[in-house]
Amino acid sequence: MSSESPSVRVTRRMKGTLRSALLPVWNVLCMLLAPLDRALQPIANVYNRTLGGHFGEMNGLQFAVISLGFAAIATVPFWSPFYSETLNITFAVASIWAIFAMSWDIQSGYTGYISFGHSVLSGAAGYTIGLLILHYDPSMGPATTIPVAVLASLVLGLVIAVPSLRLRGPYFSLITLVGVLLFTNLIFAFSGWTNGELGIHQVDPFTYEPWVRYYYMAIPMLLVALGLIYISRSNVGMVLVTIRENERAVSSAGLDPTKFKISSFVLSSIPMGIGGALLVYYGRAINPTSFVEISNSIEIIAIAVIGGMGSVVGPLFGSFLFFFLEEEFLRDVIGDSSLRTLVLWLFVLSVLVFARNGVFRVIWHGLGAVRGDSE
Amino acid sequence: MTLLEVDHLTKHFGGLVAVDDLSFSVDEGEIVGLIGPNGSGKTTVFNCIMSTYIASEGEIRFDGEDVTSEKTHEVVNHGLSRVSQESNPINLLSVGGNIKLFTLPNSFLACALPDAVLARRSDGGPGVVDHAERVGLEDKIEETPDSLPHADVRRLEIAKALATDPDMLLLDEPFAGMNQAEIRTLSEQIEQFREDGISLVVVDHNMRGLMQLVDRVVVISSGQKLAEGPPEEIVENQDVQDAYLAGEHGGI
Repeated sequence: MSSESPSVRVTRRMKGTLRSALLPVWNVLCMLLAPLDRALQPIANVYNRTLGGHFGEMNGLQFAVISLGFAAIATVPFWSPFYSETLNITFAVASIWAIFAMSWDIQSGYTGYISFGHSVLSGAAGYTIGLLILHYDPSMGPATTIPVAVLASLVLGLVIAVPSLRLRGPYFSLITLVGVLLFTNLIFAFSGWTNGELGIHQVDPFTYEPWVRYYYMAIPMLLVALGLIYISRSNVGMVLVTIRENERAVSSAGLDPTKFKISSFVLSSIPMGIGGALLVYYGRAINPTSFVEISNSIEIIAIAVIGGMGSVVGPLFGSFLFFFLEEEFLRDVIGDSSLRTLVLWLFVLSVLVFARNGVFRVIWHGLGAVRGDSE
Repeated sequence: MTLLEVDHLTKHFGGLVAVDDLSFSVDEGEIVGLIGPNGSGKTTVFNCIMSTYIASEGEIRFDGEDVTSEKTHEVVNHGLSRVSQESNPINLLSVGGNIKLFTLPNSFLACALPDAVLARRSDGGPGVVDHAERVGLEDKIEETPDSLPHADVRRLEIAKALATDPDMLLLDEPFAGMNQAEIRTLSEQIEQFREDGISLVVVDHNMRGLMQLVDRVVVISSGQKLAEGPPEEIVENQDVQDAYLAGEHGGI
């Protein structure tokens, strides 16, 4: 580490200063929270004994915070009016993007093979529904279109994964990058079918009732979260992390890294398809801007990074934080929309520099360490 | 019965010939020492056997099957396992986790099953703790590899290799960086692996640690076989002594 660049040295010094400045605050917090943690431990232990093996063990505070977090998500329509009229809608959108970010995470965050084109997968689901309704049968309901749409994502996932994940290194990322550009241009090239830039608008929503609509987005999101957390905590998660840390070690263990990489991408494309379908019935329209274009893929990555790559739960909360900042908090503080976007992306950048493992992990490990047994 | 056959193996990197027409074989239940001065191609031989490198010419057979062009994980699943010179544990996982990875089935769906179901499928075969016990790491299963002393990290590497349930182990410089007591313990453990039905090839650059351990020695120099025979004979061999003196490695 002798040849580190000046910028690395500067950020390290800034991190050091930040840490020592926050230390008194941290100590006070610990003093206040440690008794609470101890008091909550028995409840957490019940969870640890029953489900802890599948979803990870927690201490008292961690269990309390995660339970409160999920309870808050489950009751958004009841408390959101006290904050703002739009929070309901913001969190419905956040649920859909949470699905995208978690799906991206189980593949890219875990294996380290970063996909820059995940929006292609949700786009495939979205356009499958759009084309079915536009050209095949306008009366088709979600019960028929969604399974077909998810299947389309899965097939596209295979088509991308099989050739690209046989390669090691950066080729996979480059192929996903080209893939998303290709798909976007296909939509324009076949405008006669896809309505090009205008998109497809003939979709009936699940419901017009906002609070019901929230649950149409949040419940699938929670189910996807449950499934992906389970898988990430199973031996699959261990193999995927090892691919990221040392791919040769996976081969030495008698496991085929290519098979696991392809499987994780295909696994990821299933919830991407579900999210894409939800986005169709949420926004009632399918167009390149809100579905496929590369900026969507970048936003998915940003959300996962904020929350914490390689943790599934991190990207979930990352999405709620991202959309809360973008659509609620910053909107109240900064009037100018381009300035707002700039501030938002500066926030993403600062998370990358100062808390590479994500905001959620910082909080999580903090909660785990209030009684001194730091992780 | 012959378990491993290396048949006219040649490996070149551009113009450099690292292994030159090398043939040797290992019988079931044997411990063979593969020695040679530094840079003589010992590790390259292991890399070719494990398909880390693709052999330029020649054939490698294991248990009667041609494994020359198989992928690494396929070679491992045939029953060959290698302990590298470098340790590369995953520090994000505990010692137990590192060993467990090597017990997993090569199937995405099977890996998604809960451990209890997986254990039932393997019919009570050896678990993580059993593998750790074989190298004396049973008390350190919860620790992370970066907190272990060097000798324990090396033991972990061996436990990982054992966890793939191999018929043959390839050990690359297993005694490097160990003190006399640690070398003695490890030699005894290796002897025990043989008792348990594992054949071994042990690479070292000198014979000191190997004399008591191996049944037979294959000496290579500049990628070619120089001599082969029981250790007592090899120490007396004039060609072998010349090769070591020429390389200024201070004798075997």
